[in-house]
Amino acid sequence: MDSDRRGQWLRGVLDICVLALLRERESYGYQLAQALDAAGVGPIQGGTLYPVLLRLQRTGLVTAQWREGTAGPARKYYRLTDDGREALRQGGSAWLAFVAPVSDVVTKGVAG
Amino acid sequence: MNADDWLRTFTAELHQRRVAADAARHVVAEAATHLREGGGDPWVVFGPPHQYAAAIVESIGTAPGPRPGPVRLHARGITKRYGRRTVLSDATLTVRAGQIAAVVGANGCGKSTFLRICAGLVSPDAGEVTISGRLGYCPQSGGTADFLLADEHFVLVGAGQGVARGPARRAGRAAARQLGWEAGGDMLARHLSGGTRQKLNLTMSTLSNPDVLLLDEPYQGFDQGTYVNFWDQLARLRDAGKAIVVVTHLLNQLDRVDTVLDLTPTPQSGWLAPGVQGGHP
Amino acid sequence: MNRLLTVAEMTLRELLRRRGVLLLLLLMPLTFYLIRRDAYLGQSVRSLLLGVGWAVSTAALFATTAARELEPRLRLAGYRPHHLYLGRMLGLWTVGLVISVPFFLLPLVDGAELRYAGLAAAMLCSVGVAAPFGMLIGALLPRELEGTLLLLTVVTVQMLIDPAGSGAKLTPFWSSREIATWAVDHTDEGYLSRGALHGLAVTTLLVLGVAAVASVRLRRRRHLRHLPVG
Repeated sequence: MDSDRRGQWLRGVLDICVLALLRERESYGYQLAQALDAAGVGPIQGGTLYPVLLRLQRTGLVTAQWREGTAGPARKYYRLTDDGREALRQGGSAWLAFVAPVSDVVTKGVAG
Repeated sequence: MNADDWLRTFTAELHQRRVAADAARHVVAEAATHLREGGGDPWVVFGPPHQYAAAIVESIGTAPGPRPGPVRLHARGITKRYGRRTVLSDATLTVRAGQIAAVVGANGCGKSTFLRICAGLVSPDAGEVTISGRLGYCPQSGGTADFLLADEHFVLVGAGQGVARGPARRAGRAAARQLGWEAGGDMLARHLSGGTRQKLNLTMSTLSNPDVLLLDEPYQGFDQGTYVNFWDQLARLRDAGKAIVVVTHLLNQLDRVDTVLDLTPTPQSGWLAPGVQGGHP
Repeated sequence: MNRLLTVAEMTLRELLRRRGVLLLLLLMPLTFYLIRRDAYLGQSVRSLLLGVGWAVSTAALFATTAARELEPRLRLAGYRPHHLYLGRMLGLWTVGLVISVPFFLLPLVDGAELRYAGLAAAMLCSVGVAAPFGMLIGALLPRELEGTLLLLTVVTVQMLIDPAGSGAKLTPFWSSREIATWAVDHTDEGYLSRGALHGLAVTTLLVLGVAAVASVRLRRRRHLRHLPVG
């Protein structure tokens, strides 16, 4: 039930999280999954992550390029585009605007 | 199923869903890289191959299907009676180059008869069939010679087209490999397992490079992996512009075909009007 | 020509691999010969010829029934009907000639006083008739069992019928029997020419019969229209 609900929340915001992570530096799927896990968002399976990346790529918010890493195999690196930066700004603000009141309401409920 | 099997199945699933070949290659490579770096069971990381393939399709869409080619097979008003029993009543089917048509229906509803009529092996009581180009036919069983080797079957079929022995053998083995079978052995057809004999059966029908391919449930006896290869092979043949008619009782494969002809008789009207419905655009 | 020879070759390969059947088929002429060996040589040689005819026609029957499902698809793969039936017949005749050799040598080794040219001609007739005969039965009857029983009946009739009677000429292997009489009993040349003529006529008729059945069975059906790929 819990992981189910978490999955539902994530579905709405995973693309924004990915855009946000890519703002720092370009990255590839596995690294993004690890970064999200490390940040505490929880484990993200490839089956969830890659469709999101592909959709971002299709809509032009990120570009992708296959490159040999310094070590290890060739990886598909994603990089934020200007459109992506703009989408992050808008989507991120919208998320924050949504989550702040939700937090207020929930906080009151939990505290009371 | 290990990671390689998973990836292979996934590739086939993408292919069948008509994901553009280039895009599919990237997606599979990315999944492979991910599995290599992170390890883990692909069934957990990505889920069942068909489900992940569906998710990919949702994200990136499919390649625009090859424009429906010219009509290769047109069967019109096919009616067949055996004595008093009407087996087929006014069945109609049109298949274009680059399409797969499935003929479905309950046992004994005349699926095989319909196919044999299309192949010109049985005469109907009414109706006609127009075929453009060369015809290949794979019977349900028995289309092989018990006391010949697989290679000799290839030579025999090849000679019909004037293909020399060496090239015929090579072409046969290559086609067999598409079904996951190494055909060069020294085993007589009668000693092959049922599934392998069906692979031989199927390979023979594709060998004469037909424009229209009629298949009568040739996958019977196939194991799971080969079964996937079979539909993969069909998709390949379709994309190469063949018009394919396949008799099947497996309704779960119908999302992979372009046209369905249902021969099931309905009680009230006697027969269901042969429902020709478009699958892919 | 290549198509014809390929069918002949594959027929040959198939038959040579049916070792059990082949062995039993060879056993029959041999026992026929040996059973009559003590009594009268003429009868013995005639039985031998009949045995060869039986062996070859049974082989032809088996080959034809086995190819029943295969032939339509070979037709689709580019063979014409005559490639299929003539190729098969060619293969069967070859097998027939090969298995005839030991049976030709058998009386020779046995020291029989024969016109060996006559024996050879009679054997040719047996083989010549047997291949299309077995094929025709195989084409007309649905299963091997029925065909085998019919062949057995024919061979028995052939063995029991009075060769001088008018009905005897209607039996397919009368030719080899007639020539055998010439070879064994040193009768006049009329036996040889009558036999040869009969053998030739029957073989021709049977080949035409096989051709007719194959052409009908493998015909282009009227409901099917073929267009070239444009």
